[in-house]
Amino acid sequence: MNPLLAQFLAEAADLLTSVDEGLLQLERDPGDPELVNEVFRAAHTFKGSSGLFDFPELTRLTHAAEDLLDAVRSGRLALDSGMTDDLLAAFDLIRGWLAYVTTHEQLPATAGPAAQSLITKLRGPLGGEQAAPDDSASAVAPTAVSDSAPGWLSAFETEWLESTASWLVTTSATIRFARYTPDEGCFFRAEDPLHLVRQVPALAGLGLIQPFEWPPPETYDEYQCLIGFVLATRAAVGELNHLFRYVPDQVEIVELDGAAIRRHLSGEEPPPRPAQAAAEAVVQSQAQNLELARDAYAILAAAQRSLTADSPSGARLSSVAHSVAAAAAALGAPAETVEPDVEALTARVATLLAETPAAPEEPPPAAPPPPVERATADRGRADDPGGQVGTRILKVDQEKVDHLMELVGELNVAKNGLTFLADAAEEEFGSRVLGRRIKDQYSGLHRIAEELQAAVMDVRMLPLSVAFSRFPRLIRDLSRRLDKTVELVTEGDDTMADKDVIEALGDPLVHLVRNSLDHGIETSAERVAAGKAPAARITLTAVADGDAVIVEIADDGRGIDPDKVKRKAYEKGLISEDELEALTETDAVDLIFRPGFSTADQVSDLSGRGVGMDAVRASVEKLGGTVTMRSQPGRGTSTRLRLPLSMAVTQVMVVSVAGQRFGIPVDLVVETVRVPAAEIGRVLHQDVVVLRGEVVPVIDLARVLDMPWTPDPAADQRVLIVSLHGQRVGLLVEQFHREVDVILKPMEGLLAYAGEFSGTALLGDGLVLLVLNMKEVLSLAARTQ
Amino acid sequence: MPLELNEHTASLIDVVTVDEVESLVAWLRTTSKPKVNLRRCNHMHTGALQALLLFQPRISSTPTDAFLATQVLPLLRGSSGVSSAESEPP
Repeated sequence: MNPLLAQFLAEAADLLTSVDEGLLQLERDPGDPELVNEVFRAAHTFKGSSGLFDFPELTRLTHAAEDLLDAVRSGRLALDSGMTDDLLAAFDLIRGWLAYVTTHEQLPATAGPAAQSLITKLRGPLGGEQAAPDDSASAVAPTAVSDSAPGWLSAFETEWLESTASWLVTTSATIRFARYTPDEGCFFRAEDPLHLVRQVPALAGLGLIQPFEWPPPETYDEYQCLIGFVLATRAAVGELNHLFRYVPDQVEIVELDGAAIRRHLSGEEPPPRPAQAAAEAVVQSQAQNLELARDAYAILAAAQRSLTADSPSGARLSSVAHSVAAAAAALGAPAETVEPDVEALTARVATLLAETPAAPEEPPPAAPPPPVERATADRGRADDPGGQVGTRILKVDQEKVDHLMELVGELNVAKNGLTFLADAAEEEFGSRVLGRRIKDQYSGLHRIAEELQAAVMDVRMLPLSVAFSRFPRLIRDLSRRLDKTVELVTEGDDTMADKDVIEALGDPLVHLVRNSLDHGIETSAERVAAGKAPAARITLTAVADGDAVIVEIADDGRGIDPDKVKRKAYEKGLISEDELEALTETDAVDLIFRPGFSTADQVSDLSGRGVGMDAVRASVEKLGGTVTMRSQPGRGTSTRLRLPLSMAVTQVMVVSVAGQRFGIPVDLVVETVRVPAAEIGRVLHQDVVVLRGEVVPVIDLARVLDMPWTPDPAADQRVLIVSLHGQRVGLLVEQFHREVDVILKPMEGLLAYAGEFSGTALLGDGLVLLVLNMKEVLSLAARTQ
Repeated sequence: MPLELNEHTASLIDVVTVDEVESLVAWLRTTSKPKVNLRRCNHMHTGALQALLLFQPRISSTPTDAFLATQVLPLLRGSSGVSSAESEPP
């Protein structure tokens, strides 16, 4: 992708967010001129940068939005919620387009009509004047073959006009002339008229419109466009209209035939050349000889190449001139006294090439990245003194930070290798001094590596406001649709968490907020009847808690009725009759996290999309977090997500079974115990151990993983107690090792199916550690029993 | 650097954008008998073209770029062009 387009897309995302935010605030506080200005500026910037690319619909739509905002800004219009809706819809449409552009690098085919209806709506409050044209092709008034040539035709050389006219008369063809008079300030809009002219296909001639009087050099303003162009082209009117579609008011296009040009010539500078009829006859017979024309074209092309590549001189030049003259004669162009001058010859060759009807090649395509584009950024700086103030922030691609993190991980692994080397120095080579020196070196390296890791982690930290930013909009839209009045309160937006956590938090949060709005919050009438304030309140809170972050979504709605939940779960066969009786209220609320549970009597299009609360819990647990829900009937519900601050580094406890080492996330580990073999009892085919009066089932990890190991019945058994969903389980292992910080890599490729492992990590001694996914291990154990 | 400014000769290289126009004009203002080398120029901004039209420096080397050589160079050499008084409709 064009890097400029990529940058535009990246900036567009920010702009869209600020427009959204601004509009919402504006609706609440319509009088704030600073806010209006802010939104207007964002829309304006958007329009400006969209003009760099071939997205006319985008430019026109943003232009309409900008006009409306301008009217609001100047106080001519008061913003109402209908306008806000239209504006939001416009920017939503743009967001959709940009998503399409990101993958296809062009606007979707439906863009034109979709934009048109919105533009009409946006222009409505402005009195509907200057309704935008239907599509870009008709933006420029259509032109028919004109009888009379405009006066500006005289900007072309007479000689050239004459030869062109005679050719057109002979072939009964027409040619298009255009006059392009850019306005004076066009450089400030990052326009480059010459570049536009350069893109005109099959350009046959170019002339200049100079100012009537050039300003003296001392007062000359180089940023004022004073010149214009006239051009002649074989391209169709449609092509020209398309090319000049952004500046239709500055372009005049006429289509002329030979007779019209001659009338122009005779009118202003008589008389026409003699002996034309004879020449015409020759031209006709020869030009119809297509083969000859093609040969001539090839000669001309070769001459042009040789002229442009290495400006020839002397004998070579005259030979080139000779062949050009021959080719010109074959093409029927009037003979010209050829003086061996490189420039004149080059120009002549180009003219002849452009005129050659049997052109076997396309004209060179327009130059790739228009230089206009590069100019924009600085333009913005030049005419907008209020831009970019404040701290200098480096925008870095996420991938680079991820890569840095990986390297830190590898540095850690390499560093840990030094301790093994120190041991080897002592034991294998018997040098304790060397061993100690390596250890000293290690501790220095360790400190640096730790700091580096902390620094990189810090770079990856984002404030929770990133995850919260979409909710004002979401809640506004949903509450309007559901006809509920809801106020959103966010607290602790500046709490930081790793970007992966923030990103992964998005979907569960949206789901929870939707649930609150849809199921939790009552309509205003119901609330008033229940003695509550008519406006409901949803609170999003984030607080840091050690190496975890807690995000809470609370509402003051109707809460969850535990009896209703229990009955529903029973009806759906999720719990047995005994459980129906025995479940506590807290456990009952927890039932809604069971797969296949939905309390809404009616599935709505908001939250009832087939993903229930079980999906929320699953995705949070995948992040290594937990979800809990508390509810008071009639008072509201709060859902609490506890997530690790960072997912980059995982602390695992290393144990070994049958000589193979495995990692278990430390979060799950409760304790390690050694029990005499005799104390392990058996209840219903399940080994158990009694710990402090609690019966804990014990699973033989070797058997679950299908590894050849039998515990020594004489020795104490080592049992690792883990806690999963509040249940304790013992794992019978061979040996305990230490805890390590590892960078977990997911299982990929051929091993992706092995669900009992959550990933692999590299240890300091170069061994690969498999980290267990305890949930899967336990369900595997249940199956192998 | 798209613009190489020496004592008497300025070289326009590759794509000369609007950003270079200011320094080009400043150089043209202060240089007596300026010469401009266009050989390696692939495109010049309209502002640069306008500056060359106004200050009329000698073109010491012609551009190799086809469009510049065939269409723009003749304009610089003054073989074409009219004043806006004639071309503007009444």
